[in-house]
Amino acid sequence: MYVLDPTAEAEPHPVSRAPRLGSLYHRSIGLLSNGKAAVAPLFDHLESLLRQEWKADEVLRRTKGNYSAPAEPDLIRELARCHLIFTGVGD
Amino acid sequence: MVASPRLLSTRYEVEDERAARELFHEKGWTDGLPVIAPTPERVLSCLDQAALAPDHVIGIEPVRARPITAEKAAVNAVLAGCQPAHFPVVAAVLEAMCRPEFLLHGATSSTGGCAILIVVNGPVRLELGMEPTFNVLGMSDRASAVIGRAVRLVLSNVLDLRPGTLDRSTLGHPGKSGYCMAEDEEGSDWTPLAQLRGAPAGVSAVTVLAAGAPRQIMNEWTTAPEEILETFAAEMRANMLHYSIWGGNYAIIVPKQLRDRLRDAGWGKQHVQQFLFERARVKKRDWTRVGKGALVTVKNGDDEHVALTSPEDLLVIAAGGPAGGFGAVIPPWFGYKSRAVTTGVGVCFAC
Repeated sequence: MYVLDPTAEAEPHPVSRAPRLGSLYHRSIGLLSNGKAAVAPLFDHLESLLRQEWKADEVLRRTKGNYSAPAEPDLIRELARCHLIFTGVGD
Repeated sequence: MVASPRLLSTRYEVEDERAARELFHEKGWTDGLPVIAPTPERVLSCLDQAALAPDHVIGIEPVRARPITAEKAAVNAVLAGCQPAHFPVVAAVLEAMCRPEFLLHGATSSTGGCAILIVVNGPVRLELGMEPTFNVLGMSDRASAVIGRAVRLVLSNVLDLRPGTLDRSTLGHPGKSGYCMAEDEEGSDWTPLAQLRGAPAGVSAVTVLAAGAPRQIMNEWTTAPEEILETFAAEMRANMLHYSIWGGNYAIIVPKQLRDRLRDAGWGKQHVQQFLFERARVKKRDWTRVGKGALVTVKNGDDEHVALTSPEDLLVIAAGGPAGGFGAVIPPWFGYKSRAVTTGVGVCFAC
């Protein structure tokens, strides 16, 4: 007898990786929190490192409106100017 | 492995049903319980029953843009034990879950661990032999069991929502194996849930809600509607303090004994909705009593939070065995950020 594969079997949409940064020095860095409380102390520390040790030109901290949904389009457009974005999931 | 001429899924040749079961377990394509072999014939029977082509897209999960085709839904429905007659209901549930307002990706991957509550209304309940009375939230009948399980297997197999991978539930709850029930329309003169939510009378429909586990209440010591419903309100308030303060689509299940008390007093579903809309509220400062004082400030202590953003948010479901002063509150996973959706079975009443 034959049985059928129950999985999607479809290739997800191909996504290409952005070029890697050679250095973090003097970059514009985005920190995107999912909105949960535990992200804040982590990002506080990270922002401090980025500013003091890596001389970040800019640290743009933003928070999603709903931690169980994708970031809002306006937020993504605003963060698009950054060279690098860290996302924080506070779970 | 070869492709079927009509169905696109990869076919595996196995010796018998037992070998099929073991293959599916080995591949991680089950929920741990034995499955029915999804042969091309069985899958085609489901598709024929729903009059759906294999490549028909029932819905697309909006965040990852993952389509759920009728063929893949049918394979999983067979796997779960569905007969062809069950499949149109499974297809309707999946369609409803893919509406953007349901927030399917969040609901099925969140640490919050909710499950998909499915409430079936209309003639299809009787055609499928669904039992909306005794043990309605447990092992009530075959259709409820296999429809709920089919939805779970579609989530796991088609959308890759398996525990520890994309499904990040901290605890989950037993409803994740299947959380399907019918409303007791014959035992109640209340307006059926789907009809209150826009379905024409006499049309089969499903309502889905991303929901927590049922919280059972009991009050057999009064006949006053206000006192009966105050017990439901207390459970809703407790959920707002212990779990989530966000208001949204709560569901309550009112079995016959309590329903009769309400009916005797002339209370319909709208009265119940209005009463609980007014009574299921907490103040932010109430969080200090349950160990969440860290979030309470002088400024926000008097802020009032409502369980229901409007009376219509409440899904009032007539179901349960005939005796016992029990009821249940089924809380939403994430308040108003994920909405209940009602859709027709094999028919679009919103088109």
